[in-house]
Amino acid sequence: MGGQSPRRRQSGTISALDTFSNIDADDLSSLASVDDGKPEVDEAAALRPMHAFVSTGDYLTQMWDRRSFASAMPFEEIRSSHQDTLLGNAWHLLNPMLSVGVYYLVFAIFLNARGGIDNYVLWLTVGVFTFGLTSRSVLAGATAITSNVGLMRSMRFPRALLPVSAVFGRLVTFGFELAVLFVVAVLTGGGISQRIIALPLILAAHTGFNIGLALIAARLNDSYRDVQQLIPFLFRLLMYISGVMFPVRQYIDNSDAPGIVSRVVSLNPMVQILDLYRWVFLGGTVDLWHTAQFLLITALLIVFGFRFFRVKELAYGRA
Amino acid sequence: MAVPDQPSQPPLSMRISDVHVEYELFEERRAALRQRVSTRRGSGRRVIHAVKGVSFDVREGESIGIIGSNGSGKSTLLAAIAGLLTPVSGEILVNDEPQLMGVGATLIPTATGRRNIRLGCLALGMSADQLDDEIESIIEFTELGEAIDRSLRTYSSGMRARLHFAISTSISPRILLIDEALSTGDRRFREKAAARLDVLLGSAGTLLLVSHTLSDLQARCERGIWLEQGVLRADGPIDQVIEQYSADDALVIRR
Repeated sequence: MGGQSPRRRQSGTISALDTFSNIDADDLSSLASVDDGKPEVDEAAALRPMHAFVSTGDYLTQMWDRRSFASAMPFEEIRSSHQDTLLGNAWHLLNPMLSVGVYYLVFAIFLNARGGIDNYVLWLTVGVFTFGLTSRSVLAGATAITSNVGLMRSMRFPRALLPVSAVFGRLVTFGFELAVLFVVAVLTGGGISQRIIALPLILAAHTGFNIGLALIAARLNDSYRDVQQLIPFLFRLLMYISGVMFPVRQYIDNSDAPGIVSRVVSLNPMVQILDLYRWVFLGGTVDLWHTAQFLLITALLIVFGFRFFRVKELAYGRA
Repeated sequence: MAVPDQPSQPPLSMRISDVHVEYELFEERRAALRQRVSTRRGSGRRVIHAVKGVSFDVREGESIGIIGSNGSGKSTLLAAIAGLLTPVSGEILVNDEPQLMGVGATLIPTATGRRNIRLGCLALGMSADQLDDEIESIIEFTELGEAIDRSLRTYSSGMRARLHFAISTSISPRILLIDEALSTGDRRFREKAAARLDVLLGSAGTLLLVSHTLSDLQARCERGIWLEQGVLRADGPIDQVIEQYSADDALVIRR
């Protein structure tokens, strides 16, 4: 009897799994009725279903087991992205720096829209670099599935690794941008304060936010490649309403716009992210209520993004 | 289906139960938004019912040759067993994660062979330490020489097969699914691959081999399965199944 009970438990699990397939369940029960307790039932009990639903915990475990892949993959992308340019990987840094130059020219010199900010150069650089991290992460996430079809057709692995590692890849280039930011901070007399210890936390939350968006963009772009064409425009719009180049809240508060507009602008998580980074580099005050809002939005984005992405797990790379 | 168990029979490694697999075809492979919306109404969308209720058991140590004319559902069945496609009904039970080697595998075309080995092995779940230990022997096995540092775009199909075979077998899977992947290799590689398969499969490994080279199947497999139009037509000793398949020539030619 003592030897029988684990066997019973095993056959119990297999019939639970077999609810996915009526035929097999019938098959097993008919076997069981013909020769009850014979090894046939146990034979299949040693096997596991190939297409059973994978719980979120198991999925995350599978992702964690392949963390070396997630950290190696972005370097491949970075390597190949500027392969045929003269300056190669320097473009990862030149591109955002040139953007800062262009916006400085337009907003500080032509339009004189500094909005009374003391260290406008540092203020603008923080804005352009950190906003750029989100826009590049989401764009990279959007194409992570569609540009790795070959890999997905030959191997099974949790597909979420692709957009997630694409986001981590953007962090690598952002590291260099951070170095430039420190240089700008010192050169413009902003200095580096002890608020810097909050930077890793802010960056972690920011990365979570980017991962959530990247997962959503990845699934949408797999269904409709139009998405990757739309993303740059969406982010251009978002850049203007998030106050990357000019203090958007100040402008709205001084305008005749109703109070609701100001409140909606403050809800924009990008505004809140920029506020946090600017607090680190330029000081001032941070609205804790806004920070809490941003953290909540980030948590919701990650959970929703993950679920939204996984719905099509087995369809990626197929259509 | 299941014969009463004999004590000599090895344990099951795989059970395929009434598996149906479908996939969708769009008239244009990658439809733009407008087209996808219009195809929802059913104009350009076609569902291919590629595998229609296939069942068989595989025991540890078995090598099974799968034959059938083009479009009979062989590749679709293997992709479903490998977990790359989901059956619409039925169930696939396995004792280990199967590894598929398909002839069309492109991996990461812009990366070098070496990078593909790294990323491929890591994607399959190999640890970074293990990879560092083994990558040189994997590269050596491919015998690609200097080409290992060239981008995959420059590879012939035979070279790609060498690379993919080396990656897929590097994690010592207990179930291997080979879809015509060896046919593109030259004689030397095929002999080498055969030797590696012998070691890998040993007494407990399982192989499903799709090939149109019937002599290859006869050399490696003792059991054969014949698929035709998504239905299992025969399952038995390889020589008998090949005989039946060949006798059905008329049908093959008509198609």
